[in-house]
Amino acid sequence: MTKNDIINLHSIRWVVALKEEAKTIIELYRMKIIDGRNLYPIYKSFDGTHWLIVSGMGKQNAAAATAYLYSVSSASDSASWINLGIAGCGIGKYGDLCLVDKISDNSLQNRYPITIPKINLPRMALFTTDVPMNDYSSKELIDMEGIAFYEIASKLTSNEFICLMKVISDGPQNNIKALNRTKIIDLIDLNIRDIKTIVSYYEKLSHFDFLKKRKPRLFDVLISKWHFSVTQRHKLESLLRRVETFLPDNNVLEVLNDCKKASSVLSVLDLKIKKNEVDWSHS
Amino acid sequence: MIETIYIEKKIKNHPRADFILSKFKKARLIEIDRYSEIFNKRNQNFKIQKSRPDLILAHKESGLVLPTPDGFGIGNSKNFYFSHMYNCIYDCRYCFLQGMYSSANYVIFVNFEDFDNALEKVIRENEGSKMTFFSGYDCDSLALENVTGFAKHILGLFRKYPKIDLEFRTKSLQKEPFISVKNMDNIIIAYSLMPDIISSALDNKTPTIAKRIDNMTNLASKGWKIGLRFDPLIHGKDWKELYQELLETVFKSIPLSAIHSVSLGSLRFPKQMFKDILKLYPEEKLFSGPLFNNSGVVSYDQEIEAEMTSFCTKLINKHIDKSRIFKCSI
Repeated sequence: MTKNDIINLHSIRWVVALKEEAKTIIELYRMKIIDGRNLYPIYKSFDGTHWLIVSGMGKQNAAAATAYLYSVSSASDSASWINLGIAGCGIGKYGDLCLVDKISDNSLQNRYPITIPKINLPRMALFTTDVPMNDYSSKELIDMEGIAFYEIASKLTSNEFICLMKVISDGPQNNIKALNRTKIIDLIDLNIRDIKTIVSYYEKLSHFDFLKKRKPRLFDVLISKWHFSVTQRHKLESLLRRVETFLPDNNVLEVLNDCKKASSVLSVLDLKIKKNEVDWSHS
Repeated sequence: MIETIYIEKKIKNHPRADFILSKFKKARLIEIDRYSEIFNKRNQNFKIQKSRPDLILAHKESGLVLPTPDGFGIGNSKNFYFSHMYNCIYDCRYCFLQGMYSSANYVIFVNFEDFDNALEKVIRENEGSKMTFFSGYDCDSLALENVTGFAKHILGLFRKYPKIDLEFRTKSLQKEPFISVKNMDNIIIAYSLMPDIISSALDNKTPTIAKRIDNMTNLASKGWKIGLRFDPLIHGKDWKELYQELLETVFKSIPLSAIHSVSLGSLRFPKQMFKDILKLYPEEKLFSGPLFNNSGVVSYDQEIEAEMTSFCTKLINKHIDKSRIFKCSI
């Protein structure tokens, strides 16, 4: 397994506004801050599977930090992106963890994150505001980053790989002014079991997607043995993928043994597929 | 189980939307402006969504009834299709829907009356022509009948036009509304069929072939016309024996007088669609078979296609006159 394979076993990118919101996550996934002159503090787990950026508050920070983390961490399109944080709420219970399934701001266009994980948690709409709000009456969740995170993350990966989780921290009965550093840490801490369950779903998603998109097993071996043009490489990848489903690697190498050039390799693989009679009795 | 239902604001008070919502009392309801805000957007993954699809209730604005592509028909000169739903509760690996949409959510259009109007307009415009309408091009016509009630609704319209044919295409075991209303000669309930072991491998979440045959037999006994659809024909080891066995079983079970038509079609995908589906299911056995790009369409070699079609046609022809056997070539 290559270093790249290990990193992509599962790949999670966290975007969190405050250090207090990030503390428990950093500890849970044993992340360490990356040295160097970074625009935002970035943490990374020892095996490189989890990366976390502390964006600071507001839409601009969230958007810039998401894009920055993408670049610094070389995230693949199999990476899952998670935004975790506290949020105000007009209807929910203090301390509850919620998944976001609709995001709006003052613009006309709404966004609809896809909430696939099977978990018994409330799903709510999120309103991202530019300035702190204390009128909770017409909103479910309120934050200051969600929509900007989602806008950027949805350019980096498929929407199913993006998750917004919010812990209710203030509302009509809980004054935002009463929030302090310890309370924010506690709010995340309180929900860590559910957060872990959700993250494990996204880890699996990322892992399976990576395996699916990975080059066929023999691809590197074959391109090191014969010279393939770019077009031929594409064809090789497609043919190998199909051949590997019915022919063991040793047999593939054996049938290609006498090939003198790349075009013969492609012809032989083509012929193998042409002659393949799928045995439906072994499904 | 549907966990989230998106509903267009325009139809949130529509009685049919209420009826459908009453079937999913625990679902979370999210209001949207247009179904296209959610459905088939860029950057969606059909395969992942298929693991837990949501429901979208919408109003269809245009393109309610469309002409079928050339080569799609069962004998009449004019052919049209319509879809009250996009996507399907089943997950068949050869289905073009998985390559056509990036989204696996189900879209149900609740403005059935607009479908009625569009259908009647087409009927008027083509008066004197022999016409067939196909339901279930972008979905399974009957699989969600207990939720939508569309078949029951549309039967009422076609009862007024006994010379105009309507085909429902399905793999479901849905018997309603057919067992509670009087049979109609212009309605064809068409079942997609393939040998049992191939169906077990490719038709995910569908009723077995034996159950489909039972259902057809039952509906035939109530006087309904049955369509047999061997589309796509799937190649593989012992395919001749497998199709022979299937055809013998079918013709032993269903009275020949109840069979309206039989159609056969080869497995085929537009080139880009095949690429997209292969990306979703790279390890799928179906795609390891002898499928090749023939002028922009990925299909079996012409030799294989011709042999399969000819073999099956000969067997079918022992029971059914050639005038009722059709080859679907799109």
